[in-house]
Amino acid sequence: MKPRRIIEVGLPRLLAWCLLGFLFVPILVVIPVALTDRDYLSLPQDGVSMQHFAALADWSKGWLPSMLTSAGIALACAAIATALGVAFAVGAWAAGGWWPSLMRILLLSPMIVPPIIYAVGMVKLWARLSLLDSYTGVVLVHVVLALPLTVLAIGASLSNLDQRLVQAARSLGARPMTVFGKVILPNIVPGVAAGALLAFVASWDEITVTLFITGRAVVTLPRRIWTSIQDAVDPALAAIATVLLVVTVLALVARALIEHRQQRQKF
Amino acid sequence: MRNFKTTALLLTVPASLVAIGLYAAPILQVLALSLTEPKFGLANYQSLFANAAVGRVVMTTLKVSVMTTVLTVLASYIVAFAIIHMSAGWRRISLFLVLVPFWISVLVRAFSWITILRRRGVLNSALMEMGVISTPLDLVYNLFGVTIGMIHYMMPFAILLLYANLSDIDRRIMQAARSLGARPATIFWRVWLPLSLPGIALATLFVFVFSLGFLVTPALLGAGKTLMIAEYISVQISSTSRWDLATSLSTMLLLVVGIIVFAAMRSPALRAAFVARPQQ
Repeated sequence: MKPRRIIEVGLPRLLAWCLLGFLFVPILVVIPVALTDRDYLSLPQDGVSMQHFAALADWSKGWLPSMLTSAGIALACAAIATALGVAFAVGAWAAGGWWPSLMRILLLSPMIVPPIIYAVGMVKLWARLSLLDSYTGVVLVHVVLALPLTVLAIGASLSNLDQRLVQAARSLGARPMTVFGKVILPNIVPGVAAGALLAFVASWDEITVTLFITGRAVVTLPRRIWTSIQDAVDPALAAIATVLLVVTVLALVARALIEHRQQRQKF
Repeated sequence: MRNFKTTALLLTVPASLVAIGLYAAPILQVLALSLTEPKFGLANYQSLFANAAVGRVVMTTLKVSVMTTVLTVLASYIVAFAIIHMSAGWRRISLFLVLVPFWISVLVRAFSWITILRRRGVLNSALMEMGVISTPLDLVYNLFGVTIGMIHYMMPFAILLLYANLSDIDRRIMQAARSLGARPATIFWRVWLPLSLPGIALATLFVFVFSLGFLVTPALLGAGKTLMIAEYISVQISSTSRWDLATSLSTMLLLVVGIIVFAAMRSPALRAAFVARPQQ
């Protein structure tokens, strides 16, 4: 390579790989810490140990109850947010006009408005309605925060749907609910599934607002992790981080494989 | 005809009620409280602007947000630009390296950085063993640690935004420039960069707005020593119960974010980039 080409092409490319390393490598540090043989946060000293992974499965240590709490809340949130999101996206797509547009902006605004502002408002509201530190309170807040994702995912699916399909069904005498249930819905299943998955993940990961509206009764997994990071002692924290990392990697690999297979089938 | 449209509109009602009752109403109440707590008037805002502690927090927030935004967008552009020039296989690997941090919990990432950067952390131990330093460096619980953590959090977002934008650019323009004798550097500065300005503007907007109101990473990596607005508000509601301060500062933050987004959306190129995104 000519020197000029090294500077213009090679150097930026090298820099890009360094930056990709900066994104990925630091996360891996949780793995050796999770395998430490000591009972404080440290790298393994005299060999590796699985004891901190075992602690995750120990009910009395609190990690398992928190995982179940988070999973339950995330399932409820995904179900409600998907139902509301499908109804809204489909209705807005079919009706059009100023009202759905205005409501769409309002529904999407939690993506831009800093969650801390919402937290301030919800602490006041839930305190008045006695919903602080309750499952209902957490699920409802998570639904509001997940709705932008379901509405966007389902909206993306709808934008590929041919309006003439609906016109054909209606001209053949299908009643409104038949059109929604039997014509539109079956055509947007991928969007609905993506929306549900995004809602589940959003709820499973939510911390900013949850931190302020929960206390001792409802301890979600992110909330327990938050407390544990501030204490900065228990290596079980690194073990749970490792588990989350492995699950994320497996999910991404599975998605890549499915996409790869679908692409091969096309050709 | 009417029946169909009525049914469609009815379908939008439940989500709309949730958005109004459980989102718009509590936020409007924050705005209202900032004017009425403890008594009606603008007194809270007067004391807000006179408050030296608030001034320091605002300055820290601006400093961290500007540094984070500039470095994140620059680094993300380099990565996104490299990715669109890779072969399909390398591109898949690179996107994987971006998507893992994109999807993994922000708490796990903050914890990783604390593990690496703290005084007896991985980096300090390694540097001391190699004899580069004799006493551990203060890398976290300060401005440096917060900014590193924020950049690490924001970069996957920015890379994916810029990658989508750069992939949409018609490559035939570069071929035309090359066939007319333009050198690679000229093609970059005179063709690539101007065509990717909407994407850069969008990424800058998102990263800056997210940084301004970000709680988790600044709170965990700053640990109260590098105090940003969101954490300051959180302290006011959870430990000192200063609702006057919390609500007026929240209102100011909402106002600033609103003005930035509104101003940005007036630019046609940015609006187009924003609207075109969900269709990809």
